Amino acid sequence: MVEDRNNSSEFSDETIRRFLLGELSESEQPLLEQQLFTVAGLGARVRLAEIDLADDYAFERLSIADRILFEERFLVTSKRRRELSVSIALRHRFSRARAMAAQSKKSTVNERWRYLFFFERPAWKIAFGVLMLLILFGTVLLVVKEPRLTEQITNKIVPRRSAPRSSPQEMQHPANTSSPEHQTPAAPMPLHDSANPLSESLVLFPSSPDLGKIPTLTLPNGEKGVLRLRLAVADQMVRYRAEVLTTDARFVFSVDWLSGPPFNVDVPASLLKSGEYQIRLSDARDGSKKEVAGYYFRVR
Amino acid sequence: MSPAKKLHILKQDELDRLLRWLDPDPERAGLTYEKIRWRLVAILASRGCTCPEELADETIDRVARRVIDIQDSYVGDQATYFLGVMNNVHHEYLKRPMMPRQPEPDDDVETKERTYLCLEKCLEKLSPNSRRMIEQYYAEDGRAKINLRKRIAAELGIGLSTLRLRALRLRDKLQTCIDQCLVSEARPSRRAQSNG
Repeated sequence: MVEDRNNSSEFSDETIRRFLLGELSESEQPLLEQQLFTVAGLGARVRLAEIDLADDYAFERLSIADRILFEERFLVTSKRRRELSVSIALRHRFSRARAMAAQSKKSTVNERWRYLFFFERPAWKIAFGVLMLLILFGTVLLVVKEPRLTEQITNKIVPRRSAPRSSPQEMQHPANTSSPEHQTPAAPMPLHDSANPLSESLVLFPSSPDLGKIPTLTLPNGEKGVLRLRLAVADQMVRYRAEVLTTDARFVFSVDWLSGPPFNVDVPASLLKSGEYQIRLSDARDGSKKEVAGYYFRVR
Repeated sequence: MSPAKKLHILKQDELDRLLRWLDPDPERAGLTYEKIRWRLVAILASRGCTCPEELADETIDRVARRVIDIQDSYVGDQATYFLGVMNNVHHEYLKRPMMPRQPEPDDDVETKERTYLCLEKCLEKLSPNSRRMIEQYYAEDGRAKINLRKRIAAELGIGLSTLRLRALRLRDKLQTCIDQCLVSEARPSRRAQSNG
């Protein structure tokens, strides 16, 4: 509050403001009115208080009660209405200036960030161009060098259509009718290796070890090739374990899960030598290895 | 009809006599007249009158017509005589039936535009320091305003109260300038209207 007490008054600015809003008490009012005409300087203070009040109203700094008093008690002369018009104009003028300053500040900051991180700088433009080229070359190189990867990606994006149902067995057993997927890979060579073509096949029936009557196989030249032994079994619903042994019971080869029909045992020729062999067939499901059938053959 | 009594038309010789009674110097007399009128308006408004300007003019009218009788015998400050007459006018006003106050029409767009135009013109007329002060004084609001005013006061080496007084005086100056500007801006358009 301004306390200009030199010669103008004992009235505070607050009292003057209450005078302008018609809020003085009955004892204060005549005293201030009298001094307004007699005391030098009080008139000037009231005049400034008028302007201050108009500014406060225009800048929405008055309480609701004071706003009502302002409108009903203060805003009753044309001169005061003009003062308020100027206060409102000042508010708009400077709030616009504030907004422009704030906008300018904001845009300056934005421009700095943009300049720092984006394409305003020529160096960033060049770097971005080089990066795009590198990505492009890398992609081309990947496609050329790693076609399988491309295929995988393509497969993920566009799932392959399934093979026709008319030839499912061909898909699974393209070269022959054996069932290599059920044979234990105990042998050193894979059964369906294209390097070991089927050399000879023989159907075996359960028999006693009467060596004079057992069927005979001829080994192919060299060690490559597979000898197929088709076992005739009594119960074709059972899954068997087949062990190829020498007649003195030395292990040669086995198939742990033999299913059929047909029940083919493909033995790599490299495992066999001239001599007599036996095949012990047991039920694979119970794991007891109890022999359910025996087969004998001879290799020449 | 206005709650104030219809004014008698003040004759020119009555007005001249009033001014001479206020001050032999015509210029000073004019200023004193304006000050007295402004004080009357302020008091009547503070008393809750809805038409303080009309009541103030009625008061002046009455005084002007009495000057011829009192000018030789009256002793003391002439301004206080106005206060006495005003009390009578106000007393009579209170006895009149209260008329609801007519709402004042808002300024039209043209007046607002002229006010903004005059504000810019009058801001340009201020000295650079004064302009800077008024711009800073109105630049912020709320807490920022308080901080800014403290900073300006510190820069100028004055207290906040003195800063406020200086700014309000500049604002008053601005108001006077804008009032004059609005009058001068209105003249050509009135002239154009009358010619049209």
